[in-house]
Amino acid sequence: MRLQINFKSGMPIYLQVVDQIKAAAASGALRPGEALPSIRPLAEELRVNRNTIAKAYSELESLGVIETLPGRGCFLKENHSALRKEVRRQLLVVEIDQAIVQAHHLQVPRNEFLELIHERMDVLDGKRRANEDHKKEA
Amino acid sequence: MNSATPAIQIENLAYAYGRAEAVHDLSLTVQPGRCYGLFGRNGAGKTTTMKCLLNLLRPQHGKVRVFGLDPVKEEVAVKRLLSYVPDQVAFYPWMTVRETLDYLASFRPQWNRKTERDLFEHFGLDPGQRTGNLSKGQRTQVALIAAVCPETDLLVLDEPTSGLDPIVRREFIEAVIGAYQEGIPGKRTILVSTHLITEFEGLIDEFTIIDRGRVVLTLDSDQARERYRKIRARFAQAPPELDFKAALRVRREGRELELIADGAGPGLLELLQQHNPEALSTESLTLEEIFFVTLKS
Repeated sequence: MRLQINFKSGMPIYLQVVDQIKAAAASGALRPGEALPSIRPLAEELRVNRNTIAKAYSELESLGVIETLPGRGCFLKENHSALRKEVRRQLLVVEIDQAIVQAHHLQVPRNEFLELIHERMDVLDGKRRANEDHKKEA
Repeated sequence: MNSATPAIQIENLAYAYGRAEAVHDLSLTVQPGRCYGLFGRNGAGKTTTMKCLLNLLRPQHGKVRVFGLDPVKEEVAVKRLLSYVPDQVAFYPWMTVRETLDYLASFRPQWNRKTERDLFEHFGLDPGQRTGNLSKGQRTQVALIAAVCPETDLLVLDEPTSGLDPIVRREFIEAVIGAYQEGIPGKRTILVSTHLITEFEGLIDEFTIIDRGRVVLTLDSDQARERYRKIRARFAQAPPELDFKAALRVRREGRELELIADGAGPGLLELLQQHNPEALSTESLTLEEIFFVTLKS
């Protein structure tokens, strides 16, 4: 799993870390039970404030994506959604709305936008399958 | 954390060298655990402000407090709480690196030997070398070791990386993040002045831009990147003549238009959208770009 911070995205840095770890979990780049990088080396590597990474990790923990085992570090949780389906849908709606607004600004029409969603889901599925195959081989 | 005593509190600070006013009515507050940037051009008043924290200069007007203490009246107590890497690092040239660090450690109630060893290794320094024979980069590295090992609650860095090569600069910042920030969260506060903003971008939580001794802008870094935006639009023909008063800057080049916005981004995007641009995109300004924009406008 490689994280990359983009200072031009306008998104707070800790949220970029949160989103990228969620994405890694969704694509299988990070598997349940696997350890996340420790805070200090990750902060040093990304050259961001240590507290920013700590904030991202505590956010991921409160979302139920990761768990902290004292003295051992942070790990991706088995079944990582502790939230009710309704709440999960609501969270997703916020993100979808943002993407729709962005699509409007970028003049991407409805059909194209929907096609793009299918396309991206296929790409992500492909990645997940590839990661699973690697796992079997290993 | 807001209820805690600020790590640094400066209110209406003024200082003049003779008739030349270096700092004028400057106020800022640094909460404990934050990494605070003080950005300004050469001669903006950054060093003068920092020297007032250390009682190297006495404020001629206004109030300066470090963890609630007055550096003039309680100089020793304040110096116990902070460490400082000045813009010009000087050591006794006849001492070796080892002797210099032992000498500096003798003034400190605590000194983390493990951190010292780790940083020696990280920087690849030779403890037996005389400090007079060190390069500028190596002198800064020794100064950083001397500032990190006492594990003070506040680290003051005055232009720490200017004049250093890119690799040394990178190692310096990694050491600040790794070795210094490793302590108790919320107890390691950093005040860094620099004009090499890009390198510190990820580290800085909040910043103040000063110019000619005055505060131009104080903002949280995430908020700043959200507020300051660059919008680019390309049209099929010449761009329409619209009311861009809300933009800080407008640049036209052929069919393209580039706007810099401070908080007015969404409205400007909407306005441009109505005129069917061929392409429309937006991105945040980096802290360095914000620095340029605020000083030029």
